[in-house]
Amino acid sequence: MRKGWTLRRQGYTVLLTAALLCIMAIVSLTQAVSRDLDLLESANSDNVQWTLSQAEVEYLSFERSLDHALAARSVSRDQIQRGFDIFYSRITTLETGSLYKDLRNTAEFNQALANIRVFLDGNVDLIDRLDSATEAEMLQLETDAEALSNDVRHLSTSGLYYFAKLSDNQRESISVSLMRLAFVTTSLIAALGLLAYYSHWMGQQTERSKRELEAAYTRLNTVVNASLDAVIVSDYQGRVLDFNKAAEKIFGYSLDQVLGLPLADFLIPPDLRNRHREGIARMNLTGETRVVGHGRIELRAMRANEEVFPCELALESAGSGKDRIVIGFLRDITSVKAAEQELVEARDHALAGEKAKADFLAVMTHEIRTPLNGVLGNLSLLEGTKLNDRQTRFAQNMQISARQLMAHVDAVLDIARYEAGKHSVRRAPTDLGAMLQDIVASQSGYAAANRNTLSSRWEGEPPGWVMADAAQVQQVLLNLVGNAIKFTHGGQITLEAECLDAPAPQTARIEFRVIDTGIGIAEADQARIFNDFQTVDASYQRSAGGTGLGLGIVQRLVHGMGGELGVESEPGEGSVFWVRLDFAQTAEPETRVAYDSVRSGSRSLQVLAVEDNEINLQILQEHLALLGHTVSVAHNGQEGVDAAAATRFDAIFMDISMPVMDGLEAARRIRAGGGASHDVPIIALSANVLPEMRERITQAGMTGFVGKPYQQQDLLNVLDPLSEDAPANPASNSPQPGVLSELQDRFERETDELLDWLETLPEDHAEIAARSHMVAGSAAAFGNLDLRNGLIRLEQAAEQRAERAVLERHIAEVRQIWSDA
Amino acid sequence: MSLLRAGMRAMMIVATVLGLTSAPLLAEMAQPSGNVILTVTGKIGETNAEGAARFDLEMLQDLPATQIRTTTIWTTGEKTFVGVSLDTFLKAIDAQGSHLRATAINDYAVEIPVTDAAPGGPIIAYLQNGEEMSVRNKGPLWIVYPYDSSSDFRTEVIYSRSIWQLDRIVVHD
Repeated sequence: MRKGWTLRRQGYTVLLTAALLCIMAIVSLTQAVSRDLDLLESANSDNVQWTLSQAEVEYLSFERSLDHALAARSVSRDQIQRGFDIFYSRITTLETGSLYKDLRNTAEFNQALANIRVFLDGNVDLIDRLDSATEAEMLQLETDAEALSNDVRHLSTSGLYYFAKLSDNQRESISVSLMRLAFVTTSLIAALGLLAYYSHWMGQQTERSKRELEAAYTRLNTVVNASLDAVIVSDYQGRVLDFNKAAEKIFGYSLDQVLGLPLADFLIPPDLRNRHREGIARMNLTGETRVVGHGRIELRAMRANEEVFPCELALESAGSGKDRIVIGFLRDITSVKAAEQELVEARDHALAGEKAKADFLAVMTHEIRTPLNGVLGNLSLLEGTKLNDRQTRFAQNMQISARQLMAHVDAVLDIARYEAGKHSVRRAPTDLGAMLQDIVASQSGYAAANRNTLSSRWEGEPPGWVMADAAQVQQVLLNLVGNAIKFTHGGQITLEAECLDAPAPQTARIEFRVIDTGIGIAEADQARIFNDFQTVDASYQRSAGGTGLGLGIVQRLVHGMGGELGVESEPGEGSVFWVRLDFAQTAEPETRVAYDSVRSGSRSLQVLAVEDNEINLQILQEHLALLGHTVSVAHNGQEGVDAAAATRFDAIFMDISMPVMDGLEAARRIRAGGGASHDVPIIALSANVLPEMRERITQAGMTGFVGKPYQQQDLLNVLDPLSEDAPANPASNSPQPGVLSELQDRFERETDELLDWLETLPEDHAEIAARSHMVAGSAAAFGNLDLRNGLIRLEQAAEQRAERAVLERHIAEVRQIWSDA
Repeated sequence: MSLLRAGMRAMMIVATVLGLTSAPLLAEMAQPSGNVILTVTGKIGETNAEGAARFDLEMLQDLPATQIRTTTIWTTGEKTFVGVSLDTFLKAIDAQGSHLRATAINDYAVEIPVTDAAPGGPIIAYLQNGEEMSVRNKGPLWIVYPYDSSSDFRTEVIYSRSIWQLDRIVVHD
């Protein structure tokens, strides 16, 4: 486009230059011709021929007057004299006139003139004294004059010839000039013709460009009008220049209505108008744009019916100064926004649902565990009392049911824990071979109950010692083996392991396979069995028992350890569950780390119990005594730290929430202090069984955890690994029947005292919180959860320094619960 | 190109010897005392003979004189001519026609339109280079135009009107 333009311009320049040169040539030639014509006009000739012939006429007139005088035909001498003078004058003119200068250069003319001059000079005296002239002199004059006739004749003829030639030359010169003029004029006409042709061609080009532009414009217009987005073009002051169909539809104005109107007056919501005007002023003043050319932004716009709606807007500008136009592309995103809002709400709902589910799981399991532990704790204690056979059987049945329930709750808790992503993998040197053997050993009895045989074997060489989270690997395998046993009757279960090709040096990729000859799983069901709460057959679930969470937990554990698992099964033939895990290989440690296995031997241990709640402390003391251990007590963290520094214990049980110093701080101090018991196991006792608390406990340096309320078995589980010899039979130690009723009485008394005290409207928030907490602990131990929860709410309100009215409401609530109980 | 402006550019020097006044130059036209060298007839208001105004050299010299310095095509070199400007002369005889028929001693005759008689225009010269002119030297009277002052005076027509040895003028329409 630009190049063509330049070429065209160059063409014009060349042609114009040519035309200009022609015009200059014509002007110059015209001047030449004009000069020639001037020469003709100036007529230096003064009718030269006439003058020359007049010389002859005057000569003849003079001569005749002489003749007449001689013939005495009454011619006056004056007449002769005048004829001579006139002839003389004529000759002088020919001799001196500039007009005859060139003529005088011709020999013939000059000679003739010279001869005449001789005659004139020779006779001028005679003419002047003519009256006294003699006859002879007159005759001589006549003779001389006659002799002159040839010269006078020559004068005129040579002059005629000369001037004819001169005239020819002049004509020729004019002819040449005219020829030149004609040539240049022709050239000019040719140049003008070319120019005309060129202009015509240019005109055609322009016409074609125009048509192309029109076509492009039409196309663009079609595109703009077909656009689903509103396209609005405005000038540098924000006045509408164009408004496409989509814009008309979105805004409800027609192009005719808005053409030339400032955008601020109708498209922009009133609250944004000032900003818009400022933006335009800024753009025109400084050229700075904050929206134009900055991509899509979201704004609000206003329709004809004054409805303000959200829109997505992109502005671009073209040109500058007063030629600047701004093109706006605008999309009505009302529906998008609505959909977005819906999505956000849906997501929020989903998230809230998820959270509610997690909260529900955590709270419910907690709320279930707490009373369940109460049941189990009391059952343990009940078994220690004197019972008849039926009572013993009932108690045992109750215990079996309660334990099963507890297992389910724990499974749900595990899920919650994994879901929260809080569990971590803690690797330690592990002997996988020994682990397999232990699993077979521990599950053999269970397998036998279903008339199954259980065995384990290594396909190829075992890998030796590896870094593994033994507890997690064991749980995975135990779950799978447990499942296999559950769904196999009178069959065979094989726990098989194999080293696959290692993915990297110093690592081992182990595939564990649990192979059974059980009922198998239909292909259609294989994918969903790893989902939570999924069992293949709801009816079977009842006979086999189980929450349907087992494989979900397995899957989470395996994925948590970076492994994979799968199943291959044929209904009626059996199933193979396989798990692939990568481990780093390691050397055999000097001392073997015990993994969680059920052991049954124990010796009497020195145990420190740190617990602020008197009732809880007594229950703990009772249980530990029943297990054959010696118990020392401390009533808060500080006492615990002091005791641990002074005495070497085998284990320390530490409550978490205590006055003066909480359990976490105490554990940290014991570990850091270097006292007598700085390195002994510290087992946390807490009602908070959520994963966060576990982490905090671990961070404080504690080695174990027992959730409150607990069963005797829980204590046994944590203490057993510590007592290697001196087998003990906890069941043989009879509990003291009076102790519990004594504790119950004390709990009731404490509660009454608290309520009485609260009646006095105490001001001390801290004390309200502390005493409420104390009784809440006891309430939990005795299974009065309503009371416990009511007291916890009171405690929290007091801690938050709630207003009196709030506290009173909580107190009234607690009182109501207590009176209902 | 106006004659006036052309005149200003030329080498011609116009010298007004006497003031050019519009008052009658001759209260009663005098009679010639010397040889009559010019006779004017036709439509004239001033006469000193029967239907004619006759001039000798002295009478012409009594009229306001004008000088022209110019070359001519009939002479060599620049000449100074002194005479009565045709304009002045026609006013002096109260010429009323539109044309002059001027005739020379040798009977050469030419028509001169009165419009030629303008200030800066032709004169009836009686002195050439300060001397009276003989018949042999195109005298005694010669109508001379200021040829050098303008190309307008260098035309065939003007040359033909430059009559020498002038002795008669008839004023007519």
